[in-house]
Amino acid sequence: MVKAVPNTLRVFASLFVALTLVFILAPLVVVAGVSVSESQFIAFPPSGFSLRWFAAIFDSNAYVQALITSLKLATLVTVTATIVGAGAAIALHRRRLPGTSLLAGLFLSPLILPSIIFAIGLLMLWSATIGPVSFWALWIGHMVIALPYVIRTTLAVLADSDPFLEEAARTMGASRWQRILYVVLPQCVPGLAAGAFFAFNISFDEAVVALFLRTPDLVTLPIQIYNQLEFSPDPTVAAVSTLMMGLTVFLIATLDRFLGIQRFVGT
Amino acid sequence: MRDRVEDLALAGPGILLLALAFVLPIAEMLGLSILGTHRELTLEHFIRFLSDPYYLGIVWRTIYLSLLITAICAAIGFPLAYVMARIRPALRLWLIVLIILPLMTSVVVRTFGWMVLLGRGGLIPFTLWKLGFVGRNFTLMHTEAAIVIGMVQVLLPFTTLSILGVVMKIDRRLEEASRTMGAGFFATLRIVILPLAMPGILAGSLLAFTLSVSSFVTPSLLGGVRLPVVAASIYDAATKTLEWNFAAAQSVILLVGVLLALTPYIKLSGRRHG
Repeated sequence: MVKAVPNTLRVFASLFVALTLVFILAPLVVVAGVSVSESQFIAFPPSGFSLRWFAAIFDSNAYVQALITSLKLATLVTVTATIVGAGAAIALHRRRLPGTSLLAGLFLSPLILPSIIFAIGLLMLWSATIGPVSFWALWIGHMVIALPYVIRTTLAVLADSDPFLEEAARTMGASRWQRILYVVLPQCVPGLAAGAFFAFNISFDEAVVALFLRTPDLVTLPIQIYNQLEFSPDPTVAAVSTLMMGLTVFLIATLDRFLGIQRFVGT
Repeated sequence: MRDRVEDLALAGPGILLLALAFVLPIAEMLGLSILGTHRELTLEHFIRFLSDPYYLGIVWRTIYLSLLITAICAAIGFPLAYVMARIRPALRLWLIVLIILPLMTSVVVRTFGWMVLLGRGGLIPFTLWKLGFVGRNFTLMHTEAAIVIGMVQVLLPFTTLSILGVVMKIDRRLEEASRTMGAGFFATLRIVILPLAMPGILAGSLLAFTLSVSSFVTPSLLGGVRLPVVAASIYDAATKTLEWNFAAAQSVILLVGVLLALTPYIKLSGRRHG
């Protein structure tokens, strides 16, 4: 047996992976670093240690309002996208509707079609038919983006499920409604939960649709950060950003703890 | 028959949502792009965009930056995915988590990190100044280099995970056979692994290119107003100068470019899944 990989190459590979990780994680570390700096200027490495910028977030009406908007939006999107996605995934999994693969393509297309293209269309259509954009326009827009994630994770779980369970329930006399409620839906739960995590994260972090549909009264947290970055960033922006990263870490950790993240990575 | 009714009822809300909030907006955009000021049919917006050297410069910048970004992502993503596929599963899981973490962090936050690192007095210009390469007031902000650095960081996770999915499925015995037959490590990598991984590399690159040509937040913040890309031009027309028909026409041009890149992507990923 030949030696699989020369030792020098192993060292080189480790170094390469380490450097790539530094590159990928650098901006996150920098933001977290700036947020705990004592200095009132944005500087990295940080000088001193202070949590005052985190306190400053809650003194700022703009940030608090944006945080409330984002939390409301993301929660609503998560609940509705999960419900709508569950039905769609079950129907797609059964493959009984004519044109199922076409329908699956339609449902997953917001994943690959850049959101800027549909964001501007939504802005124009909403303004032409309904009027000035509102919270509900943003809700609809985020639903469209979040839905494919719910459908994909749920389809992945359903693909591993036992098709005869539903058949058995039918033979035992369960009605359509009972079969969905007591047999199919419980099997979907891990996929729906993972999809819900993604939906929340996407809605909470999304910046393009929210930017096109923003009004002075409708500013999400990423847009508030974007506004600050365009004009005068101060360490409070870093503190808000760090809070958002903390939420992401929490979501990933929870997802991994309960469901195992590898199941839901697009590999 | 009743089965179909049941399934239609299940999928109905989703179909309705996508029809009204996804298909219809895109149709509205297509319609607006060919309407003139008096709602007559016209191609003036397309002609205006495609005949003005200013806008053509924006298109050209968007395309070559995206090609560069995509190439760098593939060049880093392939070896990274290969190493990840060949290490212990526990370590691989950690790497996946570390790659997903930035992927799931808001683009606004990540771009902010680069603004700190690349700006005047930031860690990177400061280090370059200390090493004597540049002057004291050197900044990388508002350069094309900044856009490329920021975008590669945003898109590398996509490319890597896309390639990883394919490399993981390559039969390790092929590699062993190649080595037993006398091919060296790099020869095996080039003759056996690379061709087998190519669908993943292409799919990942096409996805990265698509996302790159249409990205807005990172190029706008890192490149500034003097280096606009197509998405920024659309944004300005839609929200600043309020020329909606012109914005729609630019979006249609972007859409056509994106669809050209996505068609082979869908073929590639379709083949992979079934």
